[in-house]
Amino acid sequence: MGRGYLVRKLLHALATLFFVVAFNFVLFRVMPGDPIELLTRSEKLTPDDVAELQAEYGLDQPLPAQFVNYLGDVLSVDMGVSLRTGLPVSTLISERVWPTFLLVGIGTVLATVFGVLIGIKGGWNRGSRFDTRSLYGSLLFYSIPEGWLGMLLLIVFAGTLGWFPAGGFDTGEETGFAAVIDIANHLFLPVLTLTLGYIGEYAIIMRSSLLDTVNEDYITTARAKGVPEHLVRRRHAVPNAFLPTFTLIFLSFGYVLGGAIVIEVVFSWPGLGQLTYDAINQLDYPVIQAIFLLTSALVIAFNLAADLTYGFLDPRVRHA
Amino acid sequence: MRRTFGNATLVGLLLVLGLAPVALAQTGEGATEDEVVLRVGTILDLANDNPWGVVAGYDWGVATTQYDMLLQFSNEDLSPSPGLAEGCEPNKDHTRWTCTLREGLKWSDGTPLTSEDVAFTFRFVIDNSMSAYRSYFPFNPTFETPDDRTLIWKSEQPTFAPDIPPWVYIVPKSVWKEYDGADKKEIKSVPNTPSVASGPFTLTEWERGQGWTMERNPYYWGEQPVVDRIEYRVFDNQEAMVQALRNGEIDFADGLQASVFGTLEGADNIATQRVVSDWWLNLAFNFGGQSKDADPHPALHDRTVREAIAMAIDKQEIVDKVYLGLANPGDTIIREASTYWHLDIPQDEEYPYDPAAANALLDEAGYEDTDGDGVREDPESGRPFELLMPASDETVGAVEAGQLIVGYLKEIGMDVELQAASDGKMNDYWGSGDFDMYIWYWSGDPDPNYQLWVFTSGQCGSWSDGCWSDPDYDALYEQTTTIFDRGERRDVVFEAQQYVYDALPGVVLAYPSWLEAYRTDRFTDWTPAPGEDGYLLPTYNYNSLLTVRPVAGASEAASPGLPAWIWIAGVAVIGVVVWRVATRGRREQDLEA
Amino acid sequence: MPEPEQDLVVPPSARAVVWARRRRTAAAHWTTFRRNRQGIVGLVVLSVFGLIAIFAPLLVDETQLEPATASAPPLHPPSLQYPLGTDNFGRPVLGLIVMGSRISLMVGLTATFGAIVIGAFVGITAGYFGGRWIDSVLSAITNWVLVLPWVVLAIVLSSVLGRSVLNIVVVIAITSWASTARVVRSQVLSVRERAYVERSRALGAGHWHLVSRHILPNVMPIVFANAVLTVALVILAETTLSILGLGDPQAVSWGVIIEESFSAGALTAGWWWWLIPPGVAIVFVTLSFTMVGYALDEVLNPRLRRR
Repeated sequence: MGRGYLVRKLLHALATLFFVVAFNFVLFRVMPGDPIELLTRSEKLTPDDVAELQAEYGLDQPLPAQFVNYLGDVLSVDMGVSLRTGLPVSTLISERVWPTFLLVGIGTVLATVFGVLIGIKGGWNRGSRFDTRSLYGSLLFYSIPEGWLGMLLLIVFAGTLGWFPAGGFDTGEETGFAAVIDIANHLFLPVLTLTLGYIGEYAIIMRSSLLDTVNEDYITTARAKGVPEHLVRRRHAVPNAFLPTFTLIFLSFGYVLGGAIVIEVVFSWPGLGQLTYDAINQLDYPVIQAIFLLTSALVIAFNLAADLTYGFLDPRVRHA
Repeated sequence: MRRTFGNATLVGLLLVLGLAPVALAQTGEGATEDEVVLRVGTILDLANDNPWGVVAGYDWGVATTQYDMLLQFSNEDLSPSPGLAEGCEPNKDHTRWTCTLREGLKWSDGTPLTSEDVAFTFRFVIDNSMSAYRSYFPFNPTFETPDDRTLIWKSEQPTFAPDIPPWVYIVPKSVWKEYDGADKKEIKSVPNTPSVASGPFTLTEWERGQGWTMERNPYYWGEQPVVDRIEYRVFDNQEAMVQALRNGEIDFADGLQASVFGTLEGADNIATQRVVSDWWLNLAFNFGGQSKDADPHPALHDRTVREAIAMAIDKQEIVDKVYLGLANPGDTIIREASTYWHLDIPQDEEYPYDPAAANALLDEAGYEDTDGDGVREDPESGRPFELLMPASDETVGAVEAGQLIVGYLKEIGMDVELQAASDGKMNDYWGSGDFDMYIWYWSGDPDPNYQLWVFTSGQCGSWSDGCWSDPDYDALYEQTTTIFDRGERRDVVFEAQQYVYDALPGVVLAYPSWLEAYRTDRFTDWTPAPGEDGYLLPTYNYNSLLTVRPVAGASEAASPGLPAWIWIAGVAVIGVVVWRVATRGRREQDLEA
Repeated sequence: MPEPEQDLVVPPSARAVVWARRRRTAAAHWTTFRRNRQGIVGLVVLSVFGLIAIFAPLLVDETQLEPATASAPPLHPPSLQYPLGTDNFGRPVLGLIVMGSRISLMVGLTATFGAIVIGAFVGITAGYFGGRWIDSVLSAITNWVLVLPWVVLAIVLSSVLGRSVLNIVVVIAITSWASTARVVRSQVLSVRERAYVERSRALGAGHWHLVSRHILPNVMPIVFANAVLTVALVILAETTLSILGLGDPQAVSWGVIIEESFSAGALTAGWWWWLIPPGVAIVFVTLSFTMVGYALDEVLNPRLRRR
């Protein structure tokens, strides 16, 4: 990969990150709903107390100075203290990362793997029964709202059939291997919801990408040379079709996180999504800010990774 | 290379299958065999584990379970009964109360609990302005501890404060003295898990978002409970909690929704408890004056208008449709659970539901619809009756009741805009006064003092809903704080409630019941407080936990989910599939050859 | 040698030529579109829902949909009189869904319109001045919006601005314009390189002329296809936000029906007739928009047409 390309993409990512940080600051300083007021509502503080609190949060300084302080906090990864519970935000977030990681990680991997496989099979045998059925199926699942899908699965599998628990992370009582099984049982429906929610989209993307590739000249050449079909597919078509698919999947990560929030709320899954939802209802600004920044940074990182992988794999870009 | 990959998968598969028997053997419960564990499901997590930072519902429940108070609330009617103190006796003019503590009191770390701890706690509240408890210490009392078992409460003015009794948790001086005088934010964020306390159970574990655990305190001064451990599990939605109760994952479900309550009544091995209401749904009018943004409709100052609104609201329908019948229509501002103090206005003396009469009232008073758009106008200011009504979406039933009220007020020519808002946003509205009326709640204390106090003129800008101000009411309130005879005081408290009912600073819409359900095949002998229709879980006192015991031959918790062997089989199947896909290349190559 | 006969027909104006060509293209597009079965099915379903939405007040007794005046027995399972049963206020669910189509479609179309207008404007400007600083700035802003977590942003804005239909539309429009901008920009970049654009510029045509006469007509089809696909996403977004409790209780969209039934306890109490139909309606409409959108994509995108 050309050094110019790498540097450009890196700078790009950093610039976007800076924009996000600035936006974060502006959003929460400019929004109505003074956090100090909220604190004082149930406190009956004197004006002196209020001034003291303001000084503590640095809210009595002019806006640019506050921004510099804020940048300093961000760089030293100081996320502040939750307004509602008084606990450090980093504690709250680190407690919730694992459940969300499990849910989003496993769900995305499954959706990607199976979506891609279905897309390949459908796209390669275009017009076949499998293709038509899988295309309709993909479109169908793409059109189902994730929150409602979760409720539907809850009704069927947890309510009527009673095969799975209706929410939560675990029962909290198992140890060792039994604990793993317990979590797996609680994880099943949320992950199924997430997977079904995005598998359709990925299948369609992969299929389109493959159809684009199939018409390229080098495919015709390979066939003319007598290369057997399955090798044409595996060695030429799929790898080249995979590239744009990969990129698009990375780019859709932001939407996956959005879907994860509503799934966590429906299933009482104790992850970052649920934390976000509660924090916003309670106007717990430090928590909201931190999550905002964290998710944006994650998406930026994923985009950068996609760009770099693209750059590495695509010979045309490699020498840019 | 492909061959190796295929082989690797095969080996991996064999390993999994080989480990399976070992794994299956480990499946089982984490609890030891003879521990008695009570499992409770809740719909809210703790917000703070520290008695000074209590914010949400279960913060209070946990504090009430693990800390004692000087005097307890009795089971029957929440009147003062022995707590840490056997009793508190006043002198003749009620300026000096002497409380005698029990013998042999200890903290959960084994150290003795003395009157010095009690005095320290009270002084801590006063010196550090702990607002949740400050109002229990009027007239700046001082405290003396002539010996370990005696506490003397000295007040400059005659008072019955110790007999209310003060809802203040007694905390160990040894733990908290280093925070005395510290910044309030710091005090409230001191982590308190595990805790040192004196009650029958202490908080030993808290996993945020998931639940908390309380364990039996061996140093508790009273009879040791049978239960060894209580596991509280947080559910964010009712479905999960009810399902867990049904299949035995939990023994008790707290804070149920009206909709599911009906389905549980009559279910096998499940009993339901409809708890007498200790809060009320409040429609409050705004009289303005909070800030420069406060510009409520001026006609709200006219009592006739407020009376018309009261008559246009069908409280019974709110009870039926919003609470599915599991509530009582509201009348006075003291909650039903304070049975001694609550005034119940007879049916024929209440404002009737009569939209026609309401319309007539407004017509007579001159509020006509002059431009024919269906909305009345105020003749003096010319302002049409377009009212902004925020409703808290964190208060059960508030938004739904709001939807009904929009319809009711349309019938009498008022155009109401309903704004569902989180409690954070409700605070904004409350503070700025930028609303015409709102729907929120009041909860209050067992003693009516606090609830009556928030309606006084002095509370504008502090606790008052809409800055209603009436000097005659203020005088009535003052009276209630000076009478020492319980019966006499009650008469004045009744008068105050009647006054508020007549003056209409708001409308008490409903008294919704709290709903609990539990498995009858697991635990029995709960002690409800207050009275038969009281809470089964510690809310005013912890006595229920002292009497509850397991039913002989209780069934095991059956957690739904696929058993371990299905998971192992599933993984094995996937493994096989992956292996076949991975080795397909080799097989196809072999075919080609 | 005799002179060839002069043509006596008056030569058509430039404008008439253009319009004739456009009509022919449109006809060709329609023929291609008709052959796409999914597209036709989608179009039919959308027309049905569209008609339902337009004629909703005639199909439904509105007083029955007001909580205070609804007279049917609450939480009644489906019956002959109430084919989809009733909700907790006694409102017939079928009526709610019919009326809800207005809100859901209205939010879908207006939010999409907003997103498309912003996205097209940004995309065209960025692509037209491709490579220059305006493009860099606009592209940076576009990428930055793409990166923001839309649900978090939407919840924050909603909880601050209040729960109303207008705010939902605004919030969704603000968080959705970026992908349109991207698509438009790349299309504009490729159009810009085409010969006739170069020639026009060489002839001294101004920016406005170039954009309106050459760029816009070539970009509009893509924008249109993109818009139809965006409506599907917008409707799903509105559903997610409503399920999270940000919907307007006075403007009952399908998402709000789902949220109300869920928080009232429909799952455990088994009121399936209240929870399931609104979701089915959403799936139908979203699926139809998607199918039509993909069909349009095939029709209008020459690259795809080859297959």
